[in-house]
Amino acid sequence: MTLRELVESQRFCQGLEPGQCEGLAACVSERTFAPGEYLLRQHAPADTFHLVLDGQVQIKLALPGQGIVTLETVGPGEAVGWSWFLPPHRCQFDARAVTPTRTLAFAAAPLRELMEREPAIGYAVLKTLVATLSERVQSCRLQVLDVYAPPAGVP
Amino acid sequence: MSVAAEVQLPAPWRIVARQIENATGDVFSWTLEPCGEAGGAAFRPGQFNMLYAYGLGEVPISIAGVEPGALRHTLRAVGGVTRALARLEAGEVIGLRGPYGSAWPLEAAQGGDLVIVAGGLGLAPLRQAIVQALAQRERYGRVCILYGTRTPADVLYGGELAAWAARRDVEFAITVDRASAGWGGEVGVVTRLVARASFDPERTTALVCGPEIMMRFTAEALLKRGVPQASIHLSLERNMKCAVGYCGHCQLGPHFICRDGPVLPWPRLAGLLEVPEL
Repeated sequence: MTLRELVESQRFCQGLEPGQCEGLAACVSERTFAPGEYLLRQHAPADTFHLVLDGQVQIKLALPGQGIVTLETVGPGEAVGWSWFLPPHRCQFDARAVTPTRTLAFAAAPLRELMEREPAIGYAVLKTLVATLSERVQSCRLQVLDVYAPPAGVP
Repeated sequence: MSVAAEVQLPAPWRIVARQIENATGDVFSWTLEPCGEAGGAAFRPGQFNMLYAYGLGEVPISIAGVEPGALRHTLRAVGGVTRALARLEAGEVIGLRGPYGSAWPLEAAQGGDLVIVAGGLGLAPLRQAIVQALAQRERYGRVCILYGTRTPADVLYGGELAAWAARRDVEFAITVDRASAGWGGEVGVVTRLVARASFDPERTTALVCGPEIMMRFTAEALLKRGVPQASIHLSLERNMKCAVGYCGHCQLGPHFICRDGPVLPWPRLAGLLEVPEL
């Protein structure tokens, strides 16, 4: 499968036209990560955006006094990282492979340039990105609700 | 004695075994056997019994297991009655009346894919459905078991989960909302697992049980995947008292959960789970 076909096959890219996927494919490379290897490091330049093809990735955060906490895991078809889109382009969290992981790695600078130069592509990518962010925010809200805690006021 | 009165008379059942089901120790299961004749009632997965702590009160508890001549119930001590029940040991006797309510549509699901989504203690009402489906595995297409819980220490039925996960003919995934240091598995809400699971939405029957907010978002995730509304079944929990549709304590909109539920298809619930007053 070519890189363009891989890009087109991603759920993340379902809203994009074939020609737009071709533009994205020019910014992408395939990467592999061994268990324990980091895709992104907190505070490092956010120069890459990953779509997971295979494997499992932990999104982690160092908490003073509590060590490193896993906030969520991300699997096939899901995106890792969006700090690449907004200044100052610094990663907010660590992303670490749990299992052998393969990703489509988008180079952030050429991707941003493409989105500026081709507003149709920029808007299409942004719509997809916002949909992904919306899903993540909703998931985080449910996590924060602690819905499995023992209920109060039951017999 | 009238039929109605007979139905509501608790029968004595003996606790023959008691076991802790999670690492936090707050959830336990009983194996119960009737002290006399069982009465021949057919207990189906998804239904519930009213368990009576003599002199204290009754609680509705879903049937977690049906074994020859015995029943299994899984409970968490969270209120006055369940705390009293939790103090009972093997050999002691409780009152039991049931079974009540609707069951999981396991027969109707045959021939298609089966997606089972459990949240927290919601795995207990689904346990017997999973046991039965796996005992008749050839009657279903793909079987996905997706389980979300609070922390690794809250995971129920550890040994059985490992056996389900080891099966090649089952897609099993577990996630926790909050990970501890030693947890190497998934972290995040169970709805995320729905998007990743491998099943054919159009020929899928989904069985969902957990907190209502979790079920609502799970149903939305299943609908987003393309599962037909009528193929999504939820098990509701309400404060059942009479258990036979007389008292109205468990009413949810037009439904008496004890009589019309607890298992109901999504089209009969859509909208009701978003009403704060209900």
